[in-house]
Amino acid sequence: MPATVTLTDVVKDYADVRALDHLDLSIETGRITAVLGPNGAGKTTAVDLMLGLRRPTSGRVQVLGRAADDRAVRSRVGAMLQDPGFPEATTVAEVLHLVGVAYPDPMPLHEVLEQADLAGLGGRRIAELSGGQRQRVAFGMALVGRPDVLFLDEPTVALDVDARRRFWTRIQGLAADGKTIVFTTHHLAEADEVADRVVVIHRGRVLADGSPSAVKALVAGRTIGLTSTLSVQRLAALPGVEHVDESTTEPGPRPVTLHVSDVDAAVHALVSADVPLHDLTVRDAALEDAFVHLVASAT
Amino acid sequence: MSTLMTTPPTTPPTTSDLDVSPVIRRRPRDAIRVLSAQVAAEVRTNLRVPEFLVGAVSVPVLLYAMFGSAQAGEALPAGTSVAAMMAVSFAAYGIVSLAIFTFGVDIARERGQGWLRTRRVTPLPTWVYFAGKIAMALAYSVVILAGITVVAVTLGDVRLPMETWIRLWAVLASGAIVFSTFGFAIAWLARPRAASTIGNLLFLPLSFASGFFFPLSELPPVLAEAAPWLPTYHYGRVVWAQLAPPVDVTAWTGAEATGSLWPHVAWMLGSFVVFGILAAVGWRRDREATLG
Repeated sequence: MPATVTLTDVVKDYADVRALDHLDLSIETGRITAVLGPNGAGKTTAVDLMLGLRRPTSGRVQVLGRAADDRAVRSRVGAMLQDPGFPEATTVAEVLHLVGVAYPDPMPLHEVLEQADLAGLGGRRIAELSGGQRQRVAFGMALVGRPDVLFLDEPTVALDVDARRRFWTRIQGLAADGKTIVFTTHHLAEADEVADRVVVIHRGRVLADGSPSAVKALVAGRTIGLTSTLSVQRLAALPGVEHVDESTTEPGPRPVTLHVSDVDAAVHALVSADVPLHDLTVRDAALEDAFVHLVASAT
Repeated sequence: MSTLMTTPPTTPPTTSDLDVSPVIRRRPRDAIRVLSAQVAAEVRTNLRVPEFLVGAVSVPVLLYAMFGSAQAGEALPAGTSVAAMMAVSFAAYGIVSLAIFTFGVDIARERGQGWLRTRRVTPLPTWVYFAGKIAMALAYSVVILAGITVVAVTLGDVRLPMETWIRLWAVLASGAIVFSTFGFAIAWLARPRAASTIGNLLFLPLSFASGFFFPLSELPPVLAEAAPWLPTYHYGRVVWAQLAPPVDVTAWTGAEATGSLWPHVAWMLGSFVVFGILAAVGWRRDREATLG
């Protein structure tokens, strides 16, 4: 699959802080890539570099085979920034029209308003909008030029649950049309649900990179929940069990969670232990757990 | 940590793998579309800002109506109407304040809020932003000129040949372009939050010392002595000369008016260039800081 965006050995220093530390990253065409990381990990810096808003200290950033700030690249890229700073007395329609005319083949205004979930708000001034509505204007700005590549920096922070769902449905539709989508988030469930690929960044380096399930598998893979009287020591000694969380240290039956690398071996051992077991569940580790575990083990 | 790394699917592609469309050629028609969208947005946006309409557009007209038109009937030694001289002076003040506030304070605010940075991720060219601001300032200059002309003719009893009016309007409106770089310099050299204060601190003394509110000959000598060092004063000299013979300009300013306007024009052009360079330095510095 061809790459749309490549970062090659990129270092970015601010004064005495290293935001990106020899980062290599290649984003494939037509996929949804999530860039995940805690605050200060370098996510926004990486996106700013891909947008040509910042220059790398060293290394190379290419978008569509050219420098990120090349005019021809700008005509094919849409961006949703965290705080676009639209002029307050301007209307939604004026902002979207102005940005649209700069692109070779813009969407008609009514279409972009509908796509960005802004129907009926075209005549509103920016000053009159809520945070979520402003964020949708930023999304409209990213969409209006029918770009091939979309960069979305923390795109759903101010959206409510319904708006968020509609937003991701739209993004998945765009990906199905062959658009390349890169977004940053620390809303981990979203990366899990939406992304084809998750890149975990921490301290300016790639900590993990793969499909959401591959990233989750990097940590104990799965969890087993049960209610049991077995001690933590006995549970942890079972084959395939990596780590045990117990809800209480009180004697008697209590819910525990086992983080396991081998579900079959662990369940087999539990059954063979011949003690009462209740409420047995097996599930994938949430990406959240994987993420916390990854970051913790890297520090 | 390395044990946790999966192999990223990075096969560094060669350029030939990439789907690169030919560089979009911008035709002049496209540039005009973008520019007209920018100008329309600027003009309409300012119509919704009462502070702008009152402060920048109405105040010069109202001040003239209150102070200038009352001089109806008075004349300078060679017969030039005082009400007409006041009219062009208040128009000059209005246009200089428009330049400082729209080019300086407005842009500084949009820079501070990040809108200029946001525009950089779009294909919107930078020059369109500047051209849009200048076109908007010209449009509102014409509104100020129309307002003052109406008051001058009705209340001030000013009668001038049509060709004089046209020349006055053209010379006065050119001030919006000449002083645009002064505003741009404020916008990029001042901290965004300080720009409004700096604009206010600059434009009142400039207008007084240039003789826009009262004839310089009626002001304290210190102001009259400072005037020749102010580009706005030279703008005033070019404007007054459109209306009054040198003897009346001398009476009005208290400074000997020779026949030649070129020194004054040179001051205006020099100020345009010098502040343009300062603005460019500030713009570059800001760009380097945001890229850094």
